[in-house]
Parts: sequence; structure tokens; C-alpha cells
Amino acid sequence: MNTLYATLGFLGVYAYVSFASLLWGGLDRKLVARMQRRMGPPLLQPFYDFLKLVGKESIIPRDANRFFEIAPVLALATSIALLAYTPLGFEPIFGTKGDVILFIYLLTLIGFLRVLGAVSSGSPYAQIGAQREMIILVSREGPMMLALFTILWRLNELGVTKPFSMGTFYEHNVWELGTPLSLIGTFVLLLVFMTWLASEIEVGYFDIPEAETELAEGTMAEYSGRHLALFELANAIKAFVSASLVVAIFFPWGISGYLGLSGVAAIVVDLLFHTLKVFAVLFVSMSVFRAVTGRLRINQAVGLFWTRMLPAAIVGALLLAIDTLGVVA
Amino acid sequence: MNGKLEYWVKVPVGPIHPALEEPEKFIITLDGERIINVDVKLGYNLRGLEWIAMRRNYIQILYLAERICGICSFSHNHTYSRAVEEMAGIEVPERAEYIRVIVGELERIHSHLLNLGVVGHAIGYDTILHLSWLARERVMDILEAIGGNRVNYSVNMIGGVRRDLEEKHVRAILDMIEYYRNEVMPKIEEIFLYDPTVEARLRDAGVIPKRIAIEYSAQGPTARGSGVKKDVRYNEKLSVYPDLGVKPITPKEFTGVVKGDVFDRMVVRVGELWQSMELIERAIDQMPEGKIKAVPKDNTLLFQLKKAEGEGIGRYEAPRGELIHYVMGQKGKDVPAKWKMREPTFPNLFAIARALVGEQVADVPVAIASIDPCLSCTDRVAVIDANTGRKRVLTERDLLRLSIEKTRELNPNVKAKPEVVGVGCPRGGVL
Repeated sequence: MNTLYATLGFLGVYAYVSFASLLWGGLDRKLVARMQRRMGPPLLQPFYDFLKLVGKESIIPRDANRFFEIAPVLALATSIALLAYTPLGFEPIFGTKGDVILFIYLLTLIGFLRVLGAVSSGSPYAQIGAQREMIILVSREGPMMLALFTILWRLNELGVTKPFSMGTFYEHNVWELGTPLSLIGTFVLLLVFMTWLASEIEVGYFDIPEAETELAEGTMAEYSGRHLALFELANAIKAFVSASLVVAIFFPWGISGYLGLSGVAAIVVDLLFHTLKVFAVLFVSMSVFRAVTGRLRINQAVGLFWTRMLPAAIVGALLLAIDTLGVVA
Repeated sequence: MNGKLEYWVKVPVGPIHPALEEPEKFIITLDGERIINVDVKLGYNLRGLEWIAMRRNYIQILYLAERICGICSFSHNHTYSRAVEEMAGIEVPERAEYIRVIVGELERIHSHLLNLGVVGHAIGYDTILHLSWLARERVMDILEAIGGNRVNYSVNMIGGVRRDLEEKHVRAILDMIEYYRNEVMPKIEEIFLYDPTVEARLRDAGVIPKRIAIEYSAQGPTARGSGVKKDVRYNEKLSVYPDLGVKPITPKEFTGVVKGDVFDRMVVRVGELWQSMELIERAIDQMPEGKIKAVPKDNTLLFQLKKAEGEGIGRYEAPRGELIHYVMGQKGKDVPAKWKMREPTFPNLFAIARALVGEQVADVPVAIASIDPCLSCTDRVAVIDANTGRKRVLTERDLLRLSIEKTRELNPNVKAKPEVVGVGCPRGGVL
């Protein structure tokens, strides 16, 4: 019986997140357009795009192999699977011990499936895009994992019930731990996470694999019709999920407790409030970032991660460690 | 690696590519992200304008010249007029020269603002594109007020200009300059001289050293960005420009160094925006009263040109670089025997193709955009047999035959007999 409820809830979450992530796509385009003194497309444009693409014929290149068609399906399946482990204002539906590792793997798998699909298409643009995607993937995961594991280790020190799982973020608030030293450390880690988020959803500086003016959409160059629609949806959900991770770590407050709600009502209110926080994080990391920066070269982006973000993550980790272990006490 | 394995990738940029506004093909050979060869293929957009012009009279060609390019429409027009004036020995009234300067510099402002936006788009910084194109609207409005059109404003005429500059235009232009000085230029300077993202992307991208710029005869901001002091307005003492104190602008005056990269070319454009505004102000100050056309009536002008014989060359510094028009007149006909132009993009294109070798693939769009390519006016046609390598020149009859064959191939239902009559344009004047 419990499994049935969990499954139904999961389907509900999937439907809701698909809607919310596509809605964010429209909001983002409208907000960026206003920042650039344009009108921008209608708010529901991503929905129209999605529906149009679903109804269109998908053109398969002559040189493509089977993975070209399989990759988008797998990408969407992976992003749906991700939702089972994503904290959305409440503990993940299928959360268990140590599901953070699974979460990161699944998040990386979407990028990997994009690469697989691009390489399978046989187009030179897609191949260059795939090369770039792989390089940036390897660079961005290091600092982010260090930052994530530092925080998890910090929470684990406090003796949580399920160590190294997504649910632990809700048990303690990272900002309320320790002295100002760890506050600074957490802030540094927040910066690392915001940069990682921008890179994960490929905007601004990190719009490198899909560089429209350089590679004609790079990894997505050969995709059209239904397959493109699947990738678009997978990417939109991925953006929502990645931002959810940042929200869960750094902004884990819920409002249902203050309103005195419980049961389904509390879950719904928390989910809506979580969506609001996700939109706020994405607004900073996506819309504003996209409006005020251009695209970097691949070596500059990789350099940014290895020479700026990794040291920043190390500094943040050291600050937290010093504070926790009491070296400067 | 034993050196035998060929692992590089050939990437066609164009004929249709999001970074190119016009159909042109660059075949880029890549080794990873590094470019090891660039091959430029021209000839996707040849419109046969020279051929069409041979069927029109001198004044009709004026309107054709204007449509060579939508951005430097006045420049082509002006250069062509200068060539015809030199051939026929027509003296242009001074007021007309001043009006030409003003319209030419207004066009330079709009062209440079356009290019600054395009470069922003090429590096994925779309906010630059939208804001600089928004700023550009103002100068387009002024051009519309003067010429009646936002694009092909047809202000120019052989031996003068068609439209006088009235008091309200002068006031509008001065207002516009004030707007640019106070509102637009500080932002543009902040973006293109001091923004770290822009500097990271534009510095050391598409470097054309001074030696290469001279060797490939680069023109305009491309040459000046490499430190070559080359400006037709200054070097040739063109029309009234010496009185206005025009000088070639190099990045040295702004940043202190000359590297010849995309950044330097943009710095030159920013400097030229300042210079153009100054030139317009001085021209408005110094502009004398008087007539605006050497020959008031078009019929008289055409009759005068009919008697003219010989050659004329017009040169002008278009926003993209030196523009040359050559006109050869024939006695007793109001149609030139030959009309030929050379656009600045042609030499610049090969200079930039040379400069891209050894750089990254990410620099291709921004480097191509930085020379402000106008590919439709650059296009040349040459038919080369791929098997024998022999060149063949197509005649009018060949082109007609080919087009008929193509039509038949595409649509076998076309039954009507093709007629040679009706091809091209009727000879002689319509005026």
C-alpha cells in the first residue's frame, strides 16, 4: 500500500516538475528579454515549442547509429529517475542512505547521454560539442563534489539519521552551525555551487557545448522533432533538479511549520515554496548570469574551474573543517 | 603518435550557419579545438550586378550601386558618383560635399554600432547586441528623416546630392550626437574597453600582425586595428575631409598597445564613433550655403555623361575600409562600358582566414564578425572544372541555358519555350 502511494506521488511529482520547469523556461526568457529591453516570447512559449516538436517528424541522419534515437529516451528516463531522489521541499520519495552518490551519478549521466547522442549523430558540429561537453563535465564535477561532500561531512558530524543522503539537508540548516568562520566557508561553497549550477544548465560563460554561433547548437545540432522534444524536457527537468539541490543545501527552510499545516497540505505548500526558491536561485544563476556575461572559450572555462572554483571549494572545506575540528579554538 | 594517422576533422562553417549573416563557406580543418587550415569558398551569392549595370544608364546604376550592400549603401553610391564625376569632369558644389560627409559619417555610426552588436552576439553576449542595436535606431531615424528611408536613403547624385540638409535636420542631428555622447558612448566604452568577459574573449583572438595586414592589403578598421595608418579620407585628402581634420585611428591612442586582434579592431570602431560625431559637428559648423547639384536636371546630366569618355576611379573610406569603383565611359552612349568595384571585405577575408590558422574554433565566428564582412558585395564567380582544374568563363547565353536546364530539372511540367527577349533589363534610359 505504501509503495502504491509512493508511486502515485512520484507520478504527481513528475507531472508537476515537468510543468514547473517548462514554466521557468518561459519566465527566464521573458525576464532576460526585459533585461535586454525586448518584449520576449509569450510566457508559455516552451510549452508551445514542446508540443510543436512532439508533433513533428524527427529526421535521423544517414550516418547515425541506434544510440542517436535511444539517447533522448534514456536522458528523459534518467531525469525522471532523478526526481525520486530530489529533495523538493520535503524528503525525497525513494530516499535511502547514501543516495547523494546516486544523485550525482544520474545528474552526470544526462550529460553523458547527450554526448552519446551527439557522437552517434556523425555530425562534425555535434562531435566538437560532445568533446567540449566531456571536458567541461570533468572540470565542473570536481569542485562541486568537494563542496557537497564537505557539507555532508559537516552534517554527518552532528549525527544525522541517514548519513550522506539527500534527506539530511532538512535535518540541520548549514547557516546555523558553528561560528562566523563556518558561515564564511558556507558562503564560499554557495558561490561554488552557483557557478556549478550555471555550468550544469549551460548558460552565460558555460554555453560552450551548445554554442549557437560557433557550432550551430553543438551537441543538439542534428536533433529534431520528437527526439529534440525529449531532450528539451530532460534538460528543463535537469535545470530544476540541479537548482533543487542548491536550494536543499543552502535554503532548506519550509513554511508549512510556521503555518501549522500537516499531511498533504503541508507537502503541497512546501512544494510550492520550494518551487519559488528554485526560481529565485535560477533567476540569479541563469537569467541574470545569461544577461550579463558572454561565452568563454573552452580552455578559459576549464581554467576557471581548476584555478578558481577548485581552490575556492578547498578554502571553503578547510574553513568548515577548522571550525568543526576546533583547530583555532 | 607515428604521424601517419589523420585524425583531424573538417568542419564546414557555412553556406548556412548561425554565425554568418550571408551565404559563404569556410572549410575549417580542426585538430581537436585548434584550427590547422581555413579554406574560403566564395560565390554563393553572386547577383551579377555588373552585368545588370551594363544594361542601365549612369543614373539608374546609382540605384543599383546603392543596393550592393544594405549597410554601406551610401558609401557605394558615393564612390560610384566620384568615379563618374572624375570621368566626366564634373565639379561638385562645396555644400554637396559637406552633406555627403555628414550622411557618410552618420552611416559610419550606424554601421559600427551594428558591428559592435554582431561581435557581442558572436561571443554569446546577446545583451550587447540588443542594447547596441537599440542605440542604433536613433541614427537610423535621422537617416530616414534626411533621405526618406532607413536603409537605401539615396541621398547621393552624380555631381552633388539630391536632398538638402534643412534646419530641422541639423537640429535633430545635434540632438542625436548629444544623446550618443551622454547615453550610449559611456556604455559602449565600458563594455568594449573594460568588461572582463569581453576582454577575455576578444584579446588574442584572430590576430592579424602588421606585416600580414600590409601583405594581404587589409583595409579599414581591420588594417588600423593592426596598426597600419591607412584611411582614404586622410591619405588621399578626399573631398573636404582635410578641412575637418580627419585622422586614422589606431588602438594605440586608447589602450597603448597594438596587437591586431579582435579587441583592437573593436577599439578602433569605438574610436571612430567618437571621431564621426566630431566630424559631423565640424561639418555642420563649416557648411556653406549654395547649390547642392552641379547639374540641376537629370536629362542634362545624362546628356553630358553621354559625351564623356575615358576612365574614372572613385575611392572612399566605407565603414569597413577602402572602397574602389572604376567606371569606363563610352562616347555616344549613356551606359558605361565597364563598371567594376572592389570592396574592403575581399582582402580582409583572406587576411582573417590566414590569421585564424593556429587559433581555436571558438574564435571563428567572432574573428569573422570582427572584419564586419559584407559577403554579398564581395562575391566573385569562377567556374572551375574539378577534374581538369581548368577555368571557364560563363557567358550570358551559358547562364541562360543553365537556368533553363535547372528549371526543367526541378519542374518537368514547364512546357513554354524560353525566350531570350525579356532576360535582363531593357536598354536605355527610363527617365
